[in-house]
Amino acid sequence: MTLKDTYDAIIIGAGHNGLTLGAYLARSGLDVIVLERRHEEGGGLCSEEVTQAGFVHNMHANYHTFVDMAPPVADLDVRGHGIEYVRPDVQMASIFDDGTALTIHTDMDKTLASMARFNEDDAATFARLYGEAHGFVDLLLGTLMYQPPLSVKELTKALASFGVEDRSEFLSVKLRRETINQFLDQHFKDDRIKAHLAFHGAVCAYTNDVPGLAIGYPLLVGKIDNWHICLGGSHRLAHALWRDLAQHGGVMWSDAEVTNVIVDANRAVGVRLADGIELKARKLVASTVSVEQTFLEFVDPADISEEFATDVKTKVQHKDWSLFSVHLAMSAFPEYTAAEFDPDVNRAWVVNLGIDSPAKLDRDWAEIRRGRLVEPQPNAAVNSLYDPTDAPPGFATGLLRQFAPFAVADGGEGAWDEMGRWYGQKCIDAWRRYAPNLTDDAIVDWSVFTPHDIARKLPNMVKGDWMMGEISLANMLDQRPLPELGEYRTPIEGLYMAGSTQHPHGFITFGPGYNALQVIADDIGIEKWWRQI
Amino acid sequence: MARFLLLCAILHRDLEESAVRTTYDAIIIGAGHNGLCLAAYLARAGLDTAIIERRHEEGGGANTEDPVVSGFRFNMHANYMEFFDIMPMIEDFDLENCGLRSITAENQAGIAFSDGRPPIVLHRRDLLDKTHKSISQYSSADADLYVEIQNRIKDFGPLLGLGMYSPPFKEMDDGQAAYLEAVFGDMGITAADTAKTPKVMIDELFESPEMRTLLYRVSVEFGVGIDTANSGGMILTALPWMIGCWRLAKGGTHTLAKAMTQACYANGVDLIENTEVDRIIVEDGRAVGVVARGTEFRANKCVVTNADPKQTLIDHVGEEHLPPNWVRRAKNFRFGPSHVLATPMFCLYDAPDYKSARWDPDINKTHYTVVGYDTPEEAIRYIRDAYSGTVPEPAAGTWVNSLWDPSQAPPGRHAATGWYFFPCASELSAHEWAEVRATYNDRFLQRWGEFAPNMNRDNVIDDRLYTPDQMERKNYMWEGDFSNGEMSVDQMGMSRPWPEASSYRLYLDGLYLCGPSAWPGGGMRAAAGYNAYKVIAEDLDLPSPVKTERGY
Repeated sequence: MTLKDTYDAIIIGAGHNGLTLGAYLARSGLDVIVLERRHEEGGGLCSEEVTQAGFVHNMHANYHTFVDMAPPVADLDVRGHGIEYVRPDVQMASIFDDGTALTIHTDMDKTLASMARFNEDDAATFARLYGEAHGFVDLLLGTLMYQPPLSVKELTKALASFGVEDRSEFLSVKLRRETINQFLDQHFKDDRIKAHLAFHGAVCAYTNDVPGLAIGYPLLVGKIDNWHICLGGSHRLAHALWRDLAQHGGVMWSDAEVTNVIVDANRAVGVRLADGIELKARKLVASTVSVEQTFLEFVDPADISEEFATDVKTKVQHKDWSLFSVHLAMSAFPEYTAAEFDPDVNRAWVVNLGIDSPAKLDRDWAEIRRGRLVEPQPNAAVNSLYDPTDAPPGFATGLLRQFAPFAVADGGEGAWDEMGRWYGQKCIDAWRRYAPNLTDDAIVDWSVFTPHDIARKLPNMVKGDWMMGEISLANMLDQRPLPELGEYRTPIEGLYMAGSTQHPHGFITFGPGYNALQVIADDIGIEKWWRQI
Repeated sequence: MARFLLLCAILHRDLEESAVRTTYDAIIIGAGHNGLCLAAYLARAGLDTAIIERRHEEGGGANTEDPVVSGFRFNMHANYMEFFDIMPMIEDFDLENCGLRSITAENQAGIAFSDGRPPIVLHRRDLLDKTHKSISQYSSADADLYVEIQNRIKDFGPLLGLGMYSPPFKEMDDGQAAYLEAVFGDMGITAADTAKTPKVMIDELFESPEMRTLLYRVSVEFGVGIDTANSGGMILTALPWMIGCWRLAKGGTHTLAKAMTQACYANGVDLIENTEVDRIIVEDGRAVGVVARGTEFRANKCVVTNADPKQTLIDHVGEEHLPPNWVRRAKNFRFGPSHVLATPMFCLYDAPDYKSARWDPDINKTHYTVVGYDTPEEAIRYIRDAYSGTVPEPAAGTWVNSLWDPSQAPPGRHAATGWYFFPCASELSAHEWAEVRATYNDRFLQRWGEFAPNMNRDNVIDDRLYTPDQMERKNYMWEGDFSNGEMSVDQMGMSRPWPEASSYRLYLDGLYLCGPSAWPGGGMRAAAGYNAYKVIAEDLDLPSPVKTERGY
């Protein structure tokens, strides 16, 4: 048998962006191969049985918030490939140390009623802002996320001409000078409501104390009740995309580690794999992995300018915090003492524990940025409340997430290997304080996944940066990840960046792959059969 | 503005409109490698085919995971492929271009000793001189004989292919005996020798205790107990043939499942995961579909199952649709005690460095290394203990796949796995299994250290043990039996799973078996799936997959 060695398009990385781009190109008639370093496609869409057989844990992506609006979901018939999403009716909750709890529902009236128990004015404010934002959210997200990025200047102009200031102060361009904390202070009174909203920003990587991120906040609030669980594990989405690729003639190779992008006369013409296999690309090579891997590892230094290499080495910004996770196999569902205050907390998919004020969160950020581990106040997701298939009958999976540094001040990221179990136990103890029924008898098994593990499993998530690039004004839109790369093209012809390093960012958005497609289609002359945003 | 709102409306409408299909020509229960194989052939033949899989992942026993420390990959079940060269599906669906690549280690199987005696290393078939030299350290007669056997069975492959990739037929059993006599008659072997047990055959053929110990262990790896009657012939045929060509799927055995899945997708198969089948719908004596997670899926032409026949007929079909003898057969189909395994997973800084390596460094880079037996008696006791419900003294057949495929561990590190033969899942309580998981790797590690001094806790980054009770839960391999049905004489050949069901047809019209409970049993060979296709093709008048040049 002879190995086929030439394809039209070679895509590096079979995460959801790589598979999305691959599937569109295959549907466009191109001969496509997607190469994945791991033994499994999906990248951050990995679901694994890390505790016990039968317990499916989402190692990275757990929340899917853009499934009802990302164009590829329809274009690639993701649901036709068998994906089922559940939108939990109690989406999130915060439990506070005073025994009270705030719950976010898909039914906004219930959310407002929950807020009103803390402060009626705040509930009214939230209702107004949510209402103002919500009408524009899909429009804004659609135009912003699913096309190659505008510059901030263009965006400001566009929003102004749209008259956005008149429509909602929530959508005001002045937000680009503010932190989420400032925005919350200007609009809300109760610290606990502010704490929940600040946490919501942070869990979406919009850290509440970073200047400028208030501008993204309306979008987050507009989607606050739109979190979905991919039934059976997030990995199933990867299967669906892979299937679409393969049904249209493309192939995906797992365990195919790219070591070199072959460049000839400033044009990407192929790749070399770790086992020596060389594959040629007739039309393009697209990388969905990190900027550092692509230009410092894969490309020969002689093929890029020193100036560009320096930019890659010094200017690519990564998140200054990461996530520490505990995956649990449980024989009971949490029963929170705060259920006496609000019974719905026991049905909340994600519960934020013990963050009473934005100030408390801010103190944690300060510690974490210094490389210190904080006293855990994790958030707890119990997918099995809404997904009966991710654990054996009568059992449940649990996921604790704690904001944490990548490199620990004393010992660097390597120190996590020694501290993981210890810190995991502290996270479980913290959960128990709010849900005392989760005794050792209720926990069948547990396993930790540290920031170091993130980087080891998925080296494209440099420094455990699960957004593949800092979320900040300076690293958004066409400036992400570097001005030279902002339009998905690179200094090397025929080489594109199509992963989460690009606009819009990480998360299950499909945006980077979809947007790179638009640019590639323009460059190589593919007829755009898909609906245009 | 209007354009955007319209767009949003369109998107929402499309989402609501795409519905999951529920009617097919063929529905296959289980996306193990046999189910994937069958699905690909059925779809290529033009049948609208769906596979319904309980787990979130395809592949069944062809799974590879990194559940201990990221980057250390382990094959939780099947670790090697000995039939790569004769598997029809690899050729027929060009699986290598679907990403399946393989490695055939030069040093195939070996045994080390705790007193630092020379190891025995059996090499790839093109390196018989090295094998001869290795065995000669103990017995030149054994070395001569082993090489002679290898030379005589060089062409056994096509015959094995014909036997495996055909539904069981009477001439096959007779043929085996005739083959033995024809090839080895001049050495005093007769057709009657096939009746012997592997142990008796090994003892009669080989004189050195070291060689016997290694072969006892290798024999049970294939699911054939050393005391199983009517299996002795394999010591001269299948066993040496397989030792010559054990292959690793690059990246892990799951790569095979991935490539097969890709072939399925490319041919239009629908793979419906995360959906457990509750029952098979029977109408007028015919299987017409399944009910899975509350949804009725209809199959116009056939329902085929990877599950075992007991679960299929008793739980999925229901006794009321079956005659008494089928109910009796199904209820008494046996799982284990042979081929009941546990998989340890060790994340290592360094690969094992055996005392025996001072005689022959190849033992440090052998694909499969037997650890824990210094005498044949220890091996025999171990096997008999495990088969009779006792957790044996620690020993294992071990693999360090990263020695041959560096991608299976982080750079410079090693992923070591192996198989412990253990009692059936039901022999121990849940509590006892938890105890075994907590302690047995430590006990084995201690024993391993006697053979390879660097194998101690300091060299282990982390480890885990995956036990038979967990295999039941993960893959419905009952009792932890890798072959999902004991491979005893009364459940093999034309009697697998039982005589009336050996044609893959399961009593009801349109219902077939395609998993390891059917002939030829467990192992990565996709033979049951291929054979099920042959039978279905006959019944539905589909093209035959047989290729003349292949012979099957």
